[in-house]
Amino acid sequence: MDYYSHQLDSIFLALADPTRRAVIGRLGTGPASISDLAKPFDMALPSFMKHIRLLEETGLIETRKQGRVRTCTLEKKHFAMVEGWLSAQRTIWEARTARLEAFVTATQSKEEESQ
Amino acid sequence: MKPNVNPDLDLTISRIIKAPSSAVWSAWTDPAKFEKWWIPAPALCRVATMEVKPGGALVTEMSEDGGPFQHHLSACYLDIQEGRRIVFTNALLGGWRPAPTPFMTAIITFADHPEGTDYNALVMHKDKETRGKHEELGFYDGWGTVAAQLAKLVEK
Repeated sequence: MDYYSHQLDSIFLALADPTRRAVIGRLGTGPASISDLAKPFDMALPSFMKHIRLLEETGLIETRKQGRVRTCTLEKKHFAMVEGWLSAQRTIWEARTARLEAFVTATQSKEEESQ
Repeated sequence: MKPNVNPDLDLTISRIIKAPSSAVWSAWTDPAKFEKWWIPAPALCRVATMEVKPGGALVTEMSEDGGPFQHHLSACYLDIQEGRRIVFTNALLGGWRPAPTPFMTAIITFADHPEGTDYNALVMHKDKETRGKHEELGFYDGWGTVAAQLAKLVEK
């Protein structure tokens, strides 16, 4: 997992802030514009933009400007990259076991049908 | 050898899988089958090396969004009991060569059960450093949330 580690520090730093975590949490439900994202926070826009820029630099989110609206999207790849390193191990192994189970039971019923 | 389970560091997953243990074993040891479930869809998994014997390498790669295949896991099998048990670790690479960033050993056991297979995965982690660091920084809960979202995202 050496492949992941060089980016972990910056990712952890990015996530070590409640505002940025809230932004990530909101983006987990789908893309959103900067103004929508900023609404829940009692913060001047330039301060909020600093958080957005940091998330973007870390690669956790992607922003795209269309006309006057800048839209943020969660960059799934980066989350997938760190998954192996995190306390989410349980989720991973449970999901893995579920997939294994689904795979072998599906394979088995196929074999039964063909018999 | 009985593993020494540390609940703070290790996780155990037990499940009765309604299929014969030979089928579950095969899903773990046949590269073509392994690729089908090892990594969550839509990412693709490719088994680069699977030498199911002590000292043998287990190397998997993944591709997301149709991109090039990238490194996913490099591990070494420690113990193989045909049809019964697989032990592997990423502390070593194939041929028992020390790995650069070790953190886990997994013990997978397969036993016959009236309803199919009594399947157990015990995953032991190196230390609490990583987790402790998260907690100190105060984003353990936050990360948990993100991880749950990630899981939802990638499991779709």
